[in-house]
Amino acid sequence: MKKSLSKWFTGMMIGTLLLTTAGCGGGAAPAANSNSQGESAKLGVVAYMSGGGAAYGQSQKEGLDLAKDEINAQGKIKIDLVYEDSRGNNTDAINAVNKLINKDNVVGLIGPTLSGEMFAAGPIANQSGVPIMGTSTTAEGVTDIGEFVFRNALPESSAVPQAVKKAVEKYNLKKVAVMYSSNNDWAVSGYKTMEKALQDNGVEIIATETFADKDTDFSAQLTKIASLKPDAVMVSSLYQEAALVLKKAREIGITVPFVGTNGFNSPELIKIAGQAAEGAIVASPWYPGKENEKIKKFVADYKAKYNKTPDQFAAQSYDALHIYAAALEKSGSTTDRQKLRDSLATIKDFEGVTGKFAFDDKRNPLMDATVLIVKDGQFTELK
Amino acid sequence: MDVILNQYYLQIAIFVLLNAILGVSIYLTLATGQLSLGNAGFMSIGAYTCAILTVKAGLPIYLGIPIGGIAASFISIIIGFPALRLTGIYLAIATLGFGEVVRVIVLNLKVTNGALGISGIPTLGAKIGKALSALGFPHGVGGLTAQQTSNLMVLVVLLLCLSFLIFFCTRLNRSRVGRAFAAIKADESAAEAMGINTTYYKLLAFALGALIAGIAGGLSAHLTFFIGPKDFAYNRTVEILTFAVLGGSDLIIGPIVGALLLTLLPELLRSASEYRLMIYGALMVAMMAFRPQGLISEETVRFWKRKLGRGMKQ
Repeated sequence: MKKSLSKWFTGMMIGTLLLTTAGCGGGAAPAANSNSQGESAKLGVVAYMSGGGAAYGQSQKEGLDLAKDEINAQGKIKIDLVYEDSRGNNTDAINAVNKLINKDNVVGLIGPTLSGEMFAAGPIANQSGVPIMGTSTTAEGVTDIGEFVFRNALPESSAVPQAVKKAVEKYNLKKVAVMYSSNNDWAVSGYKTMEKALQDNGVEIIATETFADKDTDFSAQLTKIASLKPDAVMVSSLYQEAALVLKKAREIGITVPFVGTNGFNSPELIKIAGQAAEGAIVASPWYPGKENEKIKKFVADYKAKYNKTPDQFAAQSYDALHIYAAALEKSGSTTDRQKLRDSLATIKDFEGVTGKFAFDDKRNPLMDATVLIVKDGQFTELK
Repeated sequence: MDVILNQYYLQIAIFVLLNAILGVSIYLTLATGQLSLGNAGFMSIGAYTCAILTVKAGLPIYLGIPIGGIAASFISIIIGFPALRLTGIYLAIATLGFGEVVRVIVLNLKVTNGALGISGIPTLGAKIGKALSALGFPHGVGGLTAQQTSNLMVLVVLLLCLSFLIFFCTRLNRSRVGRAFAAIKADESAAEAMGINTTYYKLLAFALGALIAGIAGGLSAHLTFFIGPKDFAYNRTVEILTFAVLGGSDLIIGPIVGALLLTLLPELLRSASEYRLMIYGALMVAMMAFRPQGLISEETVRFWKRKLGRGMKQ
């Protein structure tokens, strides 16, 4: 009895496998056909849609879907999006990019969500000659992968110095303390640009303290910092730790301003830290409260569709698709990858919800960030 | 032909083979009945050693990969002496701890670039492509694109590695060493009473497993262009272990089949989009419920042999 059961099961397993394989094989053929004479441009999206960072991927998908509907409704150009999940994992990102390029024959790619994934999957797209645009890959060196790699994510190396400069001018900073999460690639990269920006502005760093992601106790580091009496504290970490750092700092009587990297740029920071978040400064390409028709419309549409305020991930993805649409329109072809790359590279004076936009000669965005400060429980522009 | 040579399928095949090599590495330690969960740690040592040597010191890849393997195996001998005094679940925990220690060290060293990882690692495919164009095939061989050729060559290299490992392990099983492994697996005290130096053989199996994991690590660094400490966390170990658990660890073919299935499944299930991981999880649970000994055991092989043998006689 037991044997027959196992035999039956093995049969089932193999059967399922064969069926799925057959299903996949069938899907490839029509894709190739529609591509040769299709009018709509097929773009692939690789996003972190399951696992720990699924919230980021979800926001990106929502922003892209909204942009797609708008572009298709306008009718100048038709766009099809094919989504693939990368699970925040390098090999999965490589496989997803390979599938989109070689099986779905996409003309361009958006994503992946994480910089690490981009370092793994970007070279594949670059080798195959398919433009790939990161919407949230802020780490140093992403676009050095090759000339097909773009990003509209404002790199830390451009956002952080803007925040630092503004804070230095505003509060006349002379000596500051720096804290960062040393086991997070992105936070370390943020710390490095912070350090450089401080040196450029002639500010003395009197203490550098580190912690790790998921830490909850920062008293040792903050007590030390409190005794040195800095003019401000710079923090590079995700919002979870940043919020707890702020809370503890205010508790032990550090009242100076806090300047953060992009991790500060989340409504969650204010939610967790509450009153302690007052005076936290961050530079962000995305500020939903800005007086601008385009932004107001985007926020209203997004709210109508998903019943929440768009975050930075949604806004940047929304802009990315509009940039692609503009480039596709200019290139005049929905299948030519090389033409698309060339016309992407010449995009400038593009008005998006994250501001006026152009690519520099290294395919990084040239854009101004808005420096924000938390005031009365709200992000407001620091003027 | 075009379908088979699609970049995407070639890439998946490459990852299948890489995982199969990792499957062999865990098979070797399991061959003496030890549950070691340090494979991701050894892989990490191999990958980082190799990547640092090739990126920063400019060593050729064919030297970097074996050196990475040897480094991993060297470390395994050092930690093997104290760790192998433990058995069963205690060894599992100690080796799991070792993996985490490696991860934290890598995270804090300057030469490994901390949490940022090492990017821009030269790819195996690109290197082979360059060698090919130097040999006078700048546009690939026989109507294939240069990219297809270099990917095919990578596939061939990995296939050779894996075939050699399979050959090595089957030979090993029939040798004095292999029989000693089997004896220790069956009953350690009895094996010791029979005069088998259990410490020596256990350490040997441990070091061999680490060597292969280290080589696989070096290969993976040159296949994914980027390595970071996150890539070798404990979930990687669990992934490697599931190859052996799902495929069965009695025979070398078990972990290889496990690696094949577990690498293919997530890709095959891509059409199910958001249900992908749910189906994957459900299949794993069903698998463990129906065949806790793994897909392929010695009994399965005997069963099919008997069945096929009877078929031939008729």
